[in-house]
Amino acid sequence: MSTTAEIAPRGLSRRRMRVDGWRWAGRIFLVFMLLYTAVPMIWMLITSIKSGFAAMQFPPQWWPDEPTLASYEKLLDPQNSVGQDFLRFFWNSLFVSTVTTILSVIVAVPAAYAFSRFSFPGRNFLFFAVLLRNMFPAVIFLVPLFILMRLLGLMNTHGSLILTYLTFGLPLAIWLLKGFYDNIPVQLEQAARIDGATRFQAFILIVMPLSTPGIIATAIYSFIGAWNEYIYAYTFLTKNDQLTLPVGIQRFFSENTTDFPGLMAASFMMSVPVVVLFLVLQRYFVRALTEGAVKH
Amino acid sequence: MTIVTGKAEARRRLQSGRSGALRKIGEHRADYAYVLPAIAVMLIVIAYPIYYTIELSFFKTPPGLQLRDKTFIGFDNYTAILTSEVFWKVTWNTLIWTLGSTLISFVLGFATALALHRAFIGRGVLRAILIIPWVISAVAASYIWKWIYHSDFGIIGAALVGLGLADRPPNFIDSVSTVLPSLIVVNIWREFPFAMIMMMAGLQTVPEQLLRAAQVDGASAWQRFWHVTFPHLRNVSTVTILLLAVANFNSFIIPWIMTGGGPSNASHIWITHIYELAFGRQRWGVASAYSVLLFLILMTLGYFYVRALSGNERKEGSA
Repeated sequence: MSTTAEIAPRGLSRRRMRVDGWRWAGRIFLVFMLLYTAVPMIWMLITSIKSGFAAMQFPPQWWPDEPTLASYEKLLDPQNSVGQDFLRFFWNSLFVSTVTTILSVIVAVPAAYAFSRFSFPGRNFLFFAVLLRNMFPAVIFLVPLFILMRLLGLMNTHGSLILTYLTFGLPLAIWLLKGFYDNIPVQLEQAARIDGATRFQAFILIVMPLSTPGIIATAIYSFIGAWNEYIYAYTFLTKNDQLTLPVGIQRFFSENTTDFPGLMAASFMMSVPVVVLFLVLQRYFVRALTEGAVKH
Repeated sequence: MTIVTGKAEARRRLQSGRSGALRKIGEHRADYAYVLPAIAVMLIVIAYPIYYTIELSFFKTPPGLQLRDKTFIGFDNYTAILTSEVFWKVTWNTLIWTLGSTLISFVLGFATALALHRAFIGRGVLRAILIIPWVISAVAASYIWKWIYHSDFGIIGAALVGLGLADRPPNFIDSVSTVLPSLIVVNIWREFPFAMIMMMAGLQTVPEQLLRAAQVDGASAWQRFWHVTFPHLRNVSTVTILLLAVANFNSFIIPWIMTGGGPSNASHIWITHIYELAFGRQRWGVASAYSVLLFLILMTLGYFYVRALSGNERKEGSA
């Protein structure tokens, strides 16, 4: 009698201990992942405020003796040639990414809506054809696109990049948005149409506002993709004043291989816009992935 | 689900009339207007390049882009590739790179998602920090890690020496034996957040009641995970792993910027090798043949990708 009464709580506490074990394992794991993620970024920041001389020391100065913002001043100074180049690259990246983002929303919204609502012949085939684009690496398209861009006279223009970026942003954009439209009840539109709205009006006035989070997520995705793209920009652009940031920075630092503080400062500033954008809007992004990708 | 979604409407329409494909296309011509811009862009930038790549792969091409002087040589480019030693070396590297990066990224991402699932103070901040590597440019990531791995002033080497684990800083990316694992570490750094986001989204779909019921029935934490959580995440996991595998198979920037494929091809993977063949040595024909082979491999992967995706659709349809 008394033994069974004793065993039960002991079993329970053992179970609780095991649960605690998992929880502690989880915490330790999270600390490890945080270090893995953050240390490289922190080291980038610390290096970027060193002088060139302080960076080249062994053992390294874990915190610089004389922190300096010289690298940042140099990169952002429109008076000297380094600053001029950097600011121009920055502007080029901003231009290409913004135009790409606007265009991909304009193209993806109607396509996703059609894939969600209409049942035209070939709908599934076209949908998967669009998704399949994600499967193929840039390099497969590089040689022929290189020739195509020369044919179209788009070499060394930002148009060549915008056209190409559009296609690799579109598949995921369409996929995410379709998930959103699938979740918006058709009755809402039907009600609007009974009240005399045209299909287009119902779309603009009812469906668009409801899918705003999806559109924002799509826009972030396109912008980040375009901002970070390297291989096409590296191949299509040769003129120095056309380069986008990733290529520009690479060209520049292949000539100044030892200026690590400058390189880290440039890497940091290149990351700021996308990281800020993402952190501000990540709520929408995670939600869009949940609704678009996972519940599919 | 009581809501009639667009898909249900579509299904109903599909069932009502099945005769006359042409008539149906005519009926739906207005619908095509919505997808036309997307399809048009894709056709220009995808269909044409694919066609041209296949054509070029059967030709011997002179260096430079004077492609009018190309001569037809049948399958010679393909036999040349398959009999070369570099091909097998690069294929082996690609295999290690893709499998290693994909599996470790997935496991780390999944584990992080699980650890972050329970609410605690600072969870949002932690999650945001963990996602950052995925958002920043791969070019920036490559330079950051190149500096970390630096053979004279790198932080890892200095830490190892400081802890007495090494006499002098090791050469991470200049040595044939360590270069590929070192690059994989960088790649995982950038990719595990993606797996994390996907699995976090997936975890939200696991019904809380089922977990609680299992707990009441005396299931241990591991049993609850294995018998309740994991089966619910099978589809998300498949999609995530496939997307990661494809992205890794296609990666270029990290090896290209950090090592350029060196030392002695130890970090060349397919894509960097093709790029070098085409734009470095200007052997367009061989590079195109490589691309076609790559294309075939990816089509196989793509088949599974579509099957995984349409598997999800089927499930939703039956629910």
